[in-house]
Amino acid sequence: MSQAANMPQTRDPLAVTVSVWQAIFLREALDRLFDMRAAWFWLLAEPVCHIGFMTFVFAVIRVRTVGNADVVIWIIVGMLAFFLFRRTAVQVTYAVDSNRPLFTYRQVKPFDPAIARAVLEAFLMAIISAVILLTVALLGHAAFPDDALLVMQAVFGLWLFGFGYGLVASVLMELVPEMEHVLKILMMPLYIISGVIWPLASVPQPYRDILMINPIAHGLEFVRLGFLPYYHAVPEISMVYLYAWATVSVFLGLMLYRRFAVWLVMK
Amino acid sequence: MIVIEDLHKRYKTEHGPGKWVLRGIDLTIPRHVNVGLIGANGAGKSTLLRIIGGIDHPNKGRVERRCRLSWPMGQGGLEPTLTGRQNAKFVCRVHGHQGDLLDRLSFVRDFSELGEAFDEPLNTYSSGMRSRLQFALSLAFDFDIYISDEVTAAGDAAFRKKAAAAFKAMAGRAGLIMVAHDENTLRQFCQAAVFLYQGKAHWFDAIGEAFKAYKDTISA
Repeated sequence: MSQAANMPQTRDPLAVTVSVWQAIFLREALDRLFDMRAAWFWLLAEPVCHIGFMTFVFAVIRVRTVGNADVVIWIIVGMLAFFLFRRTAVQVTYAVDSNRPLFTYRQVKPFDPAIARAVLEAFLMAIISAVILLTVALLGHAAFPDDALLVMQAVFGLWLFGFGYGLVASVLMELVPEMEHVLKILMMPLYIISGVIWPLASVPQPYRDILMINPIAHGLEFVRLGFLPYYHAVPEISMVYLYAWATVSVFLGLMLYRRFAVWLVMK
Repeated sequence: MIVIEDLHKRYKTEHGPGKWVLRGIDLTIPRHVNVGLIGANGAGKSTLLRIIGGIDHPNKGRVERRCRLSWPMGQGGLEPTLTGRQNAKFVCRVHGHQGDLLDRLSFVRDFSELGEAFDEPLNTYSSGMRSRLQFALSLAFDFDIYISDEVTAAGDAAFRKKAAAAFKAMAGRAGLIMVAHDENTLRQFCQAAVFLYQGKAHWFDAIGEAFKAYKDTISA
């Protein structure tokens, strides 16, 4: 090719990283949205069905309010926040595994698919959340946040923790393959103990303190508080606690990637 | 120029670390020389190529790449669920060709002669179509040194002729490090050679002498 002469000799490392992130983000988006027939539909349909069913069970059959809050919004907001954490965590955990062919290009480092997947998941959940919340708003519920900044802060904390959890988990699974089973067992009760479908405020002390060790529970309560100003949240919630877990897990994950990056791709 | 210093490599096995594949490789590969890698099966040719290409890592020693170096071409690097076009786009973007993406894509499409199949997922491709795509991709970018791990030009006689000519032109313009099972292919493209024997590398300025040394070790 004739333009070889006027091409830059080497690219700036930052420019390389940015172009790799862009390429992987687009690749992952394709895979996630068009992997199988109407994959994008199921991406939306799965949380809609889940939330729809639970909301029906709670709002129509059981109760009208939880802790002075509209149960429909209470359930929807809690679940969306929890799904954001879980989907980000699971996607990041398997980021390196599902992109193995791409490490043929040495510009692609193990960390790149992880960050691309986390950002993509945040994008998708934002769209899904907007669709669901708009729908219930049209159905006559107060689905707009009262304190949007608080919601963003809590949601970002949950996302960050999901990202950090995924980073740590993927390295652990590479070092000790049996960890995959342990982590799956750990993930299962998380849905229950994070208070997605029942109010943790109803648990008496000292047991509530044990449940509040889980940082996701803090995040969920803050998101609800941001949407529903008169909601009786668990009194012990702390944003600092959630962010402490998120920051520590992200930095631990980054450190593990730095140390074991070679292990992740080496045969 | 590529500088390799005291390179050691062994793989993990089920029973702990395996035996050393490469033990102490010291090489300097100049920029405008075409080098063939010669050695018996399992001598570590592909391993060395992968380490030079930066996609595998040595247990000890280091590699310095003082030029624009291609990825190890011919082996993998394609995502089976994506179409040929999507794969090509990914490779273009990773190499920073977002700006002239369409030019590169049309080159890959035309050269590979895939036609409509260019927009079909890769797992519907025959092995010939797959290697035609890989071949076109490897020619779509400018590098100072190309790494070729058994890049084969499959297809009919006309395509093979065109591919050989294009490969020859590329090899004349830039450096080349290649592994091929066929002795004639190596002799056709390379002047110099590296002979891998018992985990050590031996440089030969003339490829003929490298083959002679290789054959001596077989008959001995």
